[in-house]
Amino acid sequence: MPDVFAIPVFFICFRETLECSIVISILLAWLKSTIDPDQDKVTYKRLRKQIWLGTFVGLFVCLCIGAGMIGAFYSIGINHWSTTEEIWEGVFSLIASIIISIMGAAILRVSKLQDKWQVKLKKALESKKGSHTGGKRQRFKMWCEKYAMFLLPFITVLREGLEAVVFVGGVGLSLPATSFPLAVVCGLAAGALIGFFIYKGGRFIAIQFFLIASTCVLYLIAAGLFSKAIWSFEANQWNAILGGDTDDIGSGPGSYDIRQSVWHVDCCNPEINGGGGWGIFNALLGWQNSATYGSVIAYNLYWLVVITWFVCMRFKERRGHWPLMKKSKSSAAVEGPAGDASSAEVDDIFGKPSTGSSDLETGNNKIETIEKTREL
Amino acid sequence: MMLSFQVLLPALYTALVTAKTVTYDFNISWITTNPDGLYERPTIGINGQWPIPRIEADVGDRIIVHANNQLGNRTTSLHFHGLYMNGSSQMDGPVGTSQCAIPAGQSLTYDFNITQPGTYWYHAHADGSYPDGLRGPLIINDAEDPYKDQYDEEIVLTLSDWYHSFMPDLISNFINTDNPTGAEPVPDSALMNDTQNLQINVQPGKTYKFRVINMGAFAGQYLWFEGHNISIVEVDGIYTEPTEASMLYITVAQRYSFLLTTQNDTTSNFAIVGSMDQDLFDTVPDGLNPNVTGWLVYNDKEPLPDPTLLDEFDPFDDYTLVPQDGLELYDKVDYSMEMNFYMGNLNDGANYAFINDKTYTMPKVPSLYTALSTGNNATDATIYGSNSNTFILDQGQVAEIVLNSADPGKHPFHLHGHSFQAVWRGAEDDGSYAYNETLPTVPMRRDTFMVNPNSNIVLRFKADNPGVWLFHCHIEWHIDSGLVATLIEAPLALQAQNLVIPQDHLDACKAANRPTSGNAAGNTANYEDLTGENLPPGPIPAGFTTSGIVAMVFSCVAGFLGMAVIIWYGLGEIETQKRKAA
Repeated sequence: MPDVFAIPVFFICFRETLECSIVISILLAWLKSTIDPDQDKVTYKRLRKQIWLGTFVGLFVCLCIGAGMIGAFYSIGINHWSTTEEIWEGVFSLIASIIISIMGAAILRVSKLQDKWQVKLKKALESKKGSHTGGKRQRFKMWCEKYAMFLLPFITVLREGLEAVVFVGGVGLSLPATSFPLAVVCGLAAGALIGFFIYKGGRFIAIQFFLIASTCVLYLIAAGLFSKAIWSFEANQWNAILGGDTDDIGSGPGSYDIRQSVWHVDCCNPEINGGGGWGIFNALLGWQNSATYGSVIAYNLYWLVVITWFVCMRFKERRGHWPLMKKSKSSAAVEGPAGDASSAEVDDIFGKPSTGSSDLETGNNKIETIEKTREL
Repeated sequence: MMLSFQVLLPALYTALVTAKTVTYDFNISWITTNPDGLYERPTIGINGQWPIPRIEADVGDRIIVHANNQLGNRTTSLHFHGLYMNGSSQMDGPVGTSQCAIPAGQSLTYDFNITQPGTYWYHAHADGSYPDGLRGPLIINDAEDPYKDQYDEEIVLTLSDWYHSFMPDLISNFINTDNPTGAEPVPDSALMNDTQNLQINVQPGKTYKFRVINMGAFAGQYLWFEGHNISIVEVDGIYTEPTEASMLYITVAQRYSFLLTTQNDTTSNFAIVGSMDQDLFDTVPDGLNPNVTGWLVYNDKEPLPDPTLLDEFDPFDDYTLVPQDGLELYDKVDYSMEMNFYMGNLNDGANYAFINDKTYTMPKVPSLYTALSTGNNATDATIYGSNSNTFILDQGQVAEIVLNSADPGKHPFHLHGHSFQAVWRGAEDDGSYAYNETLPTVPMRRDTFMVNPNSNIVLRFKADNPGVWLFHCHIEWHIDSGLVATLIEAPLALQAQNLVIPQDHLDACKAANRPTSGNAAGNTANYEDLTGENLPPGPIPAGFTTSGIVAMVFSCVAGFLGMAVIIWYGLGEIETQKRKAA
């Protein structure tokens, strides 16, 4: 199954699609509330069409870029490295683990994502009208205004999509090419589905339960990958001692360094012949038939760090400051739910959209566009 | 040669049979040599010589060897490979079986009678040290040689592999956690008469008897003489019906005598090629020359031609030989010993050889001393130690060894104290012996016989030589990794021989602080109690040990705790959403 379904790839696609669908759902909801579809059916339909067109064009473009990039990876022969050198597998597992860990927490905070986008779009839509002076720049602006409902989803999808491509590239380098398509499709579908539920609204709790469950899975995978990274580095060392690849030896004695062994069973090898069910077990939970001190300690240490991190985040959201630190003046000054302040901060840490000014600018002019369409 | 020859000829001119005593004083010490011209190294020599002197005697003689260990940093012993040692089991030489190792600075005397003709060799049988140089030919001449009229001259030709490193270092790297596959050290070169580019001057139109011995540690060698066929007349001391061959495959420890008739003109010289069997090598290092070349020199003014390259080796199959004495198959077997052999790993991660799931571990008390000192209990195999792979044979039985190899290598098995009938050899990958083969009516006999990869051999012999005899693979690495069994042959008859263990043999044990009586652990009161015996590392525990379970539990707890924290954090988000909705 790891040959046909790369679980980390699935989650990355899921995560990025979810963010796209939140943006789109906000836009659609906003459109609905701003233009009464019964009164101005034509305008409503046209703008809705723009939104969807932007979405799908963005999706199409980044799928093309993604496919091209992944194709390039494999034609360069990265697959070759990963099968011959455990060290590559270790590096890729480590990268994958870090990427998943960093973006994983964001999934849980859909409400914050929504808040953020709502604030951003609201700001954009409600801001002052730009002064119109002539020139090319002006004409470009006009064009942007006219097609804002196309450009906004297009750019969002493109940006999130390219991010996904880069992540998938990083995570998936050690995986066979055949494991990508199904995982990508499922990730897209799942993300879109959740986005749809969010749009329909009201079922936040059910959605949140789903998100909690998927985050748990995500971190299980990341813990396994982290452990596997250490394991692979050790395996690389052992192979160097043996002067060959232990794959030839199978999973019996000699395939592992007995001095480092915490447990070893000759069966259940996740790496031989695709691993079968053990391969899934390995991808999901980091199972190894031959565990080493390094890999076990790494697994437990990973969880220790994650637990500490989550507890600290929750602490900060509740109290407005990190544990063991004094309340800073600024956070003390924030009124209302402390979470708002911290969420923006956390988002910045994880590099989630503190989007470029072009986005905002596009947004800024939206209200004008809408007004114009009404005038028409 | 500095060997001192004390030829005692009491009735020199009158007796028909002149049984003499041949005495050798061997001072065993280090000498610097460079036989392959590639690397100079200290080598174990005798009396300041290397190659070490040939031991030579006639049938009926008595040989006395005073071995003085002057190595300083090594123990040693001498084994006279192929001699039956009937009535002198204590002189056979393997350490831990018939003696204790000769400690540095001490002497030990071997004293035995020769009852058999043929081509033999002698070598150290202690700590795997013979490949460091202590191995040489042992030739027993026969006044009644059936082929004595068919040749003009005799030439002894030895083959050997050669290592540049010391055996103790090689062994500790071989039996090592870092070598779990048990890849054997690969020789650095091959030698012929302990040199390379050997020139043997021959006369045209003559017949020479070659006695060839592979004295190597590991590599079997293909041997051929360009432009000449050979006629095999003896293997491992057993005369055979003359049999034509063009190429031999000689495993370590095997010997062949053959007649070679030279050509009638002297216009060219011919290459003699020994080629190490590279199938045995796990990896063939770059730059290894597996071949050693010599020449039959008819005319030293003519060039010495390079040997022609061969596409494949097509050696003679020794199983097809027929002994000249016509001894028929022992077709009624009284006692069959099945030995199932494979390579595996123990808890130290190193690779060991197993016979019937046990890897040989040398007992504290040499097995012969146990057999002599335990009265009627000597017939109980358990007292020889739980890892001595002991089999007890009764006097006069026809014994059979069925050796099934589950290893993908070739293994030359050697039996001390006997030559055996090689009644069956399976083809490669035949697996275990099926017990339904048609056996030859007059099977070939020898004392070292190769089993094919993942296959079997069947050997039969008559238990007419009371003593303690090892049966082992003669690849030195495999002796060290435990591919050894102990045959206790007719222990009660052995006790009745009233063997006297000489004081210098007992002193060797004393120096090593080893007991000389009782069971394998040296217990003289309760032979069943093996407490304190030498044991190999334990088996690798199957599956999860305590530490594995603890690690697994910790990891599971960490995972569940982590997920609990994530859920807790995620539920906090629900509160936020609710608040927002409200």
